[in-house]
Amino acid sequence: MAKREKFYYQYDFLLLFITIAIALFGVLMIYSTSSYTAYVKFDNPYRFVRQQLLGLVIGVAAMLLVSKIDYQVFIQGLGRLKINLIHILYWAAVIMQTIVLIPGIGIEANGARRWLKLGPVQFQPSEISKIAVIMFLAYAVYKSRRSLDSFLGFLRVAAYAGVLIVLVAAQNLSTAIIIAGITVGMCFVASKKKGYFLACGLALGGLSAAYIFLGAGFRASRITAWRDLENSGDAGMQILQGLYAIASGGIFGSGLGQSMQKLGYIPEAYNDMIFAVICEELGVVGAAMVMIAFLLLLWRIVLIACNAPDIFGSMLCIGVMIHIAVQVVLNIAVVTNTIPSTGVPLPFISYGGTASAIMMAEMGLVLGVSRQVKIK
Amino acid sequence: MDVFLKQCRTSQRQRMLIAFLMVAVVIVGLMGRLGYLMLYRADYYGQRAKDVHQRERAIKAARGIIYDRNGVEIAGNKPVSTISVIHNQITDPEEVIAQLSQKLGLPEEKVRERVEKVSSIERIKSNVDKELSDEIRDLNLDGVMVDEDYKRYYPYGSLASKVIGFTGADNQGIIGLEVAYDKYLQGQNGRILTMTTVTGAELDGKAEERLEPIQGNSLYTSLDVNIQTFAQQAAWKVMEAKNAKSVRVILINPQNGEIYAMVNVPEFDLNDPYTLPEGTGELSEKEANEALNQMWRNSCVSDTYEPGSTFKIVTATAALEAGVVRLEDQFSCPGYKIVEDRRIRCHKTTGHGAETFVQGIQNSCNPVFMEVGARLGVDGMFDYMKQLGIMEKTGIDVPGEASTIMHQKDNVGAVELATMSFGQSFQLSPMRLLATVSSVINGGKQIVPHFGVKIESSDKTAVKKLDYDTKSGVISEQTSETMRTLLESVVSEGSGKKAFVEGYQVGAKTGTSEKLPRSSNKYIASCIGFAPADDPVILAAVLIDEPEGIYYGGTIAAPVISELLDDALPYLGIERGETASPTPAP
Repeated sequence: MAKREKFYYQYDFLLLFITIAIALFGVLMIYSTSSYTAYVKFDNPYRFVRQQLLGLVIGVAAMLLVSKIDYQVFIQGLGRLKINLIHILYWAAVIMQTIVLIPGIGIEANGARRWLKLGPVQFQPSEISKIAVIMFLAYAVYKSRRSLDSFLGFLRVAAYAGVLIVLVAAQNLSTAIIIAGITVGMCFVASKKKGYFLACGLALGGLSAAYIFLGAGFRASRITAWRDLENSGDAGMQILQGLYAIASGGIFGSGLGQSMQKLGYIPEAYNDMIFAVICEELGVVGAAMVMIAFLLLLWRIVLIACNAPDIFGSMLCIGVMIHIAVQVVLNIAVVTNTIPSTGVPLPFISYGGTASAIMMAEMGLVLGVSRQVKIK
Repeated sequence: MDVFLKQCRTSQRQRMLIAFLMVAVVIVGLMGRLGYLMLYRADYYGQRAKDVHQRERAIKAARGIIYDRNGVEIAGNKPVSTISVIHNQITDPEEVIAQLSQKLGLPEEKVRERVEKVSSIERIKSNVDKELSDEIRDLNLDGVMVDEDYKRYYPYGSLASKVIGFTGADNQGIIGLEVAYDKYLQGQNGRILTMTTVTGAELDGKAEERLEPIQGNSLYTSLDVNIQTFAQQAAWKVMEAKNAKSVRVILINPQNGEIYAMVNVPEFDLNDPYTLPEGTGELSEKEANEALNQMWRNSCVSDTYEPGSTFKIVTATAALEAGVVRLEDQFSCPGYKIVEDRRIRCHKTTGHGAETFVQGIQNSCNPVFMEVGARLGVDGMFDYMKQLGIMEKTGIDVPGEASTIMHQKDNVGAVELATMSFGQSFQLSPMRLLATVSSVINGGKQIVPHFGVKIESSDKTAVKKLDYDTKSGVISEQTSETMRTLLESVVSEGSGKKAFVEGYQVGAKTGTSEKLPRSSNKYIASCIGFAPADDPVILAAVLIDEPEGIYYGGTIAAPVISELLDDALPYLGIERGETASPTPAP
């Protein structure tokens, strides 16, 4: 090139800002939705919001820290060993996912054994598994993108993810669906052949549909509830109450803090159903703003992916993008009773300090990639 | 950003964009779904949500007022309050406990227990007087709620208690007019719709919808507080003088059936209807209930008795109407009459000797009426009793009217017929007899005795006059006139002369009924009287139950009739004229 080029590194502050803004909005909404329950149950209206804020602070720190790491570190061999950090993360995820299934080690809540306790921190290993799958797939694509152009190659890659998916599905179908979605999505972006992804996607959809329809009683009852919400009693109660909340919102909502439905009508309104309360309090306008904020966030990630210096960084970003997108879509689809009910939290907004912190760290990966985007 | 986009040219970057676009399309689709739910389906789900959130709290409607014939309130409402505490609004619990226990006169522990209880609302005391509750409201204690309410209040206490009746905790009528006109008197409760949490706690600051209560309709009655008061006093006086068990008085307008007064002494306090009279010993719950029901019983309407000689009015009317007797017919009384194998005595055992029918009535001579009854025959007697309504209820507008207890017609032989002729061997209620006597003296009109005159909405915009069936021609005007004259002569010349009232033509018939069992020697002394005899405006009955000492109706009940009429007639605007004093007793 004749012309001399000057490169700037572009740390994506806008993405950082959007992420923190959404997370802060989440804290506000958690205060609004949980203070009543927290007061009634624990005599302390700030109980939940304090936890969430703590998670947010740790999350932001983790995000900034991760973003400082040169992401190529993950794929460099460790010394003379033929393994790298991604191998370790992957196997760590598999091990954690296995031991969480062991009664007595895995902590059970609401009839599912999903949590591990590490010192004072209680977390779902499936949160780690999601990141492990994203990083593993990105690494796989980086190593041999071409192999994904053949069905066999895809199967080989998917098999690794499949191990985690099956382990997660044992106790947490929703997260397994999310991981499966991430897998198919990332392979779709990586592969030049589209046909078998379509087939694979359909097969996956069909399988999960069959699983849901033919599966255990409570899953079948969720389907019945989805189709006839108002006459399904307890099974559809939470979603129906969510619809009441959504429908009471109108254009501008009843105002921040004014939700009626959060007053015990929607159980745990600060969890998966928080979007319903956002609709009620901020109306269709507020809800659309939240969705647009997510779109913007996703768009920023895609832009970073497009400009990443290598395919590993690019696929990392796409993985995170698909992860967030799948959770946002599933969450809102459930809350609006568009699909049968399944427990998917709204990223950054639903209550869960550890989940938020891990997700933030995930965003740190994207920011880390953005740090190496060069601009002329 | 353009710089970025320019670089998205490779197929991989295109696929990234495709992936993003797919996500964007789905998210926009969900926005559409949201818009549909929030705007198009808002009414449907919104209404459902509201139904779930709102709690209806009733605002008690005031009950309709009961007035006497002159518009004097005899049953009204007193504003009272209910004091409650709302736990999570209390800022100074000690002050609240101290003030409430002191003002309401409640033990401190009791108030403390309620104040410290974690509940949405806790009632401290209801039926608190207005002045006291105003004082408490003026203290402006946080978390103390004063809810206004109404309590039925009877300004005259025990006046006509068994007629007016009282109401229960839910403001529903329990006895008397309060029951009979309950559907009119009941107001329409208002509503406050408040937003609540799922556990039912009310929320402050959320919009309240309020539907105002509508007070019940007013009832205007024919009762007259003045006449009732006077009658009640007169009844008390004679009850005490004769140490009687009870005294009943009815004053009625015989022309239209409007009742001026109905007394059952001893009455009870309408503002405290659950307290038995003093001196009542310890009773079991069942006994206490029975005693209460007995105390509330409107004996004038609900109890039957043997009418005795007062029933001779009916026998005489029937005989005259049937034409089986003429006034100048001659009879002879040896002091008894043999009927079949029975010797039935006259009250005057020495006999009245030879007498006309007129004298027979004046003397209240049993053999004369036995003879007259026999002339009527069983068929005649029953036909006329039916014609005069004896066998039916009067249809009076208070609950619990007793039916007449009469022989089966097929079982009536000569003896039964003879005893029936002078008012024995069957029972009817005082009200029933008085309604029939009304027809006898008013020209043959059948009337429905009643209290209710009109119903008026509380805002006085709508009025409903209460109509009662009247039937004329029960007996002929001629017979009625004859009867009035005959009964007037009972006062001027016969056994009812103590019913005489200076300056008025009074008609009357006395009676003395022996209570069952005969051996108990308990009596009901009674007298029925009316005035003015030629055109009666008032008809009165007095029944003295179980008097001690002299028990003849002519001696102890007739003077009460005299006293009542002497007072009521001028009050009703009938001018006192010149009348001859009755001839001295023979």
